[in-house]
Order: sequence, then structure tokens, then C-alpha cells
Amino acid sequence: MNPTPSRAARIVPWALLLALALFPLVAPSLDLDYYVGFVRHGLIVTIAATSLNFILGYGGMAALGQAGFIGVGAYTVVALVEAGFTSAWGAWMAAVVVTAAFAAAIGAVSLRTRGVYFLMITLAFSQMLYHLAVSLRIWGGDDGYGLHAPLELGMGLGGAQGRVLYWVVLAVAALLFAFLNRLAVSRFGYALRGIRDNETRMEALGYPVYRIKFTAFIAAGAVAGLAGALLACHHRFASPSMMHWTESATLLVIVVIGGLGRRWGAPLGAAVWLTLTEVLKLYTDYWHWPLGLLLILIVFLAPKGMAAWFDGRGKTA
Amino acid sequence: MSLFVAENLFKHFGGLVAVDHVSLAVEPGETHALIGPNGAGKTTLLNLISGLLPLDAGRLALDGVDLTALPPHRRVRHGLSRCFQITSVFANDPVFDNLLLAAQARAGSSFHCLRRRAAESALRDRALALARKVGLDEVLDRTAGALPHGDQRKLDVALALAAQPKLLLLDEPLAGMGPEDSAQMVALIQRLRAETAILLIEHDMDAVFQLADRISVLDYGRLLASGDVAYIRDHPEVQAVYLGTEAAA
Repeated sequence: MNPTPSRAARIVPWALLLALALFPLVAPSLDLDYYVGFVRHGLIVTIAATSLNFILGYGGMAALGQAGFIGVGAYTVVALVEAGFTSAWGAWMAAVVVTAAFAAAIGAVSLRTRGVYFLMITLAFSQMLYHLAVSLRIWGGDDGYGLHAPLELGMGLGGAQGRVLYWVVLAVAALLFAFLNRLAVSRFGYALRGIRDNETRMEALGYPVYRIKFTAFIAAGAVAGLAGALLACHHRFASPSMMHWTESATLLVIVVIGGLGRRWGAPLGAAVWLTLTEVLKLYTDYWHWPLGLLLILIVFLAPKGMAAWFDGRGKTA
Repeated sequence: MSLFVAENLFKHFGGLVAVDHVSLAVEPGETHALIGPNGAGKTTLLNLISGLLPLDAGRLALDGVDLTALPPHRRVRHGLSRCFQITSVFANDPVFDNLLLAAQARAGSSFHCLRRRAAESALRDRALALARKVGLDEVLDRTAGALPHGDQRKLDVALALAAQPKLLLLDEPLAGMGPEDSAQMVALIQRLRAETAILLIEHDMDAVFQLADRISVLDYGRLLASGDVAYIRDHPEVQAVYLGTEAAA
């Protein structure tokens, strides 16, 4: 039932991975040093967008609170640094666990609602987290918290910064991409999309619908938390603005223009969004309105997301 | 002992009593038809039994297991499976994927996320067997939503059969069907009687008299009468509220 992917479709991910892996090595000679950080940031945004694409695109749950989980991940790193902890791996792991716990608590309540109500309640929870972060004086409150030294990667890799951090982020993004592709054709992936398409029937078929949605919600939260932890290391800074609801909305736009429920949706959306904002900022301070026009254009040209251009040509999914 | 027992089922929506203390039993191997005019509460009753609607009062048991407090998916585990009056399939997916999804619900955990489902030959075999059983094995690759109405109804039945039910709930399986499709569906239900007890809601009285061992009549949420075909056919009250109007129409 699954068409065998064409040769190009199999080569493209590896070619892209290779190009991205080599980029920091060739960037200095091309005078593109600045863009190593830009791509690193883009990869982290891709990880965050992937978590939203998973929960919304595959799971059909319109969550507008992913930024809250990003913030929980970032502030977990902050809390550990404040406590004198320096291991990057440990901090990232902790961010995943802590965010998963937050997602479990929030999911247990939110998943009793659907549609617009679910959207509103996830939004409300993330705004609560935002205001919590603003009020936490020990971690800088409104001003945010700067990480003075990079976390330690150990194993002779030095600090989590520069090219090394770039490669770690790339590895995480690539593994996540591969994992999601596998998950999409696994039992869990089919069950999740079944719930998205016809929840009542899935219940009547004997699926533990709530438990499946709950699991997916926690997984998506944990991935967003990891993105937040990486983002804190990338900026060496965490602030409440990371978890403002407009950040959740930006992720939503990225996933929608990229392609909801499509494997290239998150990477493509993040790449296009970040490139557009970067390029437009070069030309004008008033970059929002041309960006808006371009987004409208994209939505008209690719109503199912740009990823739909590449897969299943002529096929209506 | 009855296979399935429903005792004093009660459900109201605001001031409207939709199901008014209905008691019902289905014997092993029996096909039990539930008839009644539109709005009598038949589908509501089915939703209460399958658990898609919460009961206000009453008790349900299947094969000695009390189902009353169980969520719908746990009732399916215990052998209660249903079809839908308005065809409920996964319209965007191929027929075979629909069947795989149904087979997967019954066979082991659905939390595997690393193994490709396509590699599970046991699951494919089960899906194929289901397709053969309802006569859809020629259209496995067709998108479910693009199938003719009769075939979609068959698929709906096949999805319910994947659970290997002890009691199968059919909600108007003949609704909207032409004579040819109806005949096929009746033949299919005849075959299914050998493997499961059936609780059947149906308006087509010819089919009901053909298929049912016992008939219960529902009117305004209350159980009017219950008995074998001959008893119901000759029941004066039933004739007045239901069969009479059908004959007149």
C-alpha cells in the first residue's frame, strides 16, 4: 500500500545531511561564518516544529502551547546551571524528563477537550508558564538568564558551543526526522492518524484512544523541551519571551506552510520561514508586511503545505 | 444463561427521556432485531450499549462480564463490537489500510513505534481474511471513501468483525441500499450468524423477518414488546405504532 520511494526521495535526505554536516567546515573559507549559527538555530526550530507537526499533523491535536514546553526545557537548563551543574548531556536529558512531566500534567487536563477548546486550554497553560517564568526572580524574571559559560560535553568535545554544538543539534534533528518517518509507518503512527481521521470509530474498534493521544502529547512536549534546552545553549540565554504564545503561533505557521502531517513539513517550513525573515530584514525594517504577503502567496500556491509539492504528485491524499 | 443482558437502561437529554428503563437480553447464537419508528431511541440505545454515550442508570453484562463501568474500547476487548448507521470508515485510506487498522486493534499493542507495520504478515493475513469474509478482496487498493455505498457498508461491517465479537451491534446495515446491495448484505448477515450473536437495528421489515430470531419493539424510548417473529407480527400494539404505518405507506 506504501509506494516504494523513488531513488531521489531516498538520496535527498542523505545528501542534505552530508551538506549540512560539511557546512561548518567550508563556511569559513566562503566567508559564511555567521550562517553557521543561523543554520544551527534553524535546525533547533526544525526540532521544535517537528514536535508540533507530530502532535498536530499526525495526531490532529491543535496544540497552541509548544512554546511553553520549549521554555520548560530552556529553564531546566537554567536551573541546573544556577545549581552549579555543567554537563550538557545531563542537562538536556533532564530537560526532556522535566518537560515530559509538565506535558503529562497539562495533557491529562487538556486532552479531555477537543478542537478549539483544546487549542485554548493548551494556550492558557503555556501562558501560565510564561507568567511563571516572568515572576521567577532567581532566574532573572523578565530580563532572562544568561549562561556565562557553555555546558560541558565531555569526551574531549569541550563546551557545547560553536561547530560542536552545531553537529550535536544536526544529529538530534536527523535522528528525530528518521524516527518520525519510521513511526509514521509503525502501528503507533497508523493508530495516531486513525484517531486524527475518525476518533469515534477508533474507540469503537477497541483502541485506547485517550492513552494513545496522551502518549503522543507527552512525546511531543518532551521533544519541544529538548529543543528549548538546545536553544538555551545556542543563545546562551533563556528568557520568558521564548515561551510567549506568539512563539507557538510562529511554529504553527511554520508547520502549516511546510506541510501538516508530512515528513518534510517541519524542516521545509522552518527553512523557508527563517530564510524569508532573514532576507527581508536585510532590505527593510518593515519586514513584517512583505513576509505576510509572501505567506499568503505560499498558502494559495500550496494549500497542503510546500512538502505536498514533492510527494505524491497527482495523488490526492 | 443469556449471552448479553441489559437491565433498566436509562438515558435522558435534558427533559427528553430518550431511553426509558429498557431491559433486553440476547441469547448465544441469537439474532435479535430492534425495531421502532424514527426517534424511538434505537440508536441511542446502541450508543449506550457500546459505551459511546454514558448511561444515566442501568446495567450491562456480556458473557458474565459487567460492562457498565467500562469505556468503549474495553467493551470491545470483552467481545462487544459495533457498526454505525452513518458509515464510519477511514475515507481517505485504502480499503486494505482500513482493515489493517481494525486488525491491529485486536492483535497486540498499538504502542510499537519502531517496527514497520507493513512487515507484519500476520496482520496482513487477518486483514485479507476480513476482506474475503465481506467480499471486498477485489478492491483492497481502492480509497475507502470512493467505494460505492454498498461496499462502504460492507467495510464498516468488516471493521467491526475484526474484534471477533461475541455480540455484534448492527445499526441499520441496509440503510440507503438498493435491492441488489440489500440482498448481498442480508446474505452476509446470514453468514455471520454462525459466528456471533447479533443485535440488529433495521427498518427493512422483510430483512428483519428473514434474519431475526427474536424482535424487540421500541417506541418513545420504552420497550413495547419483545418476542419471536410471529408474536411481533401479530401484536396489536406493534401493528398500530409501527407495522401498520409501514403497511399504509
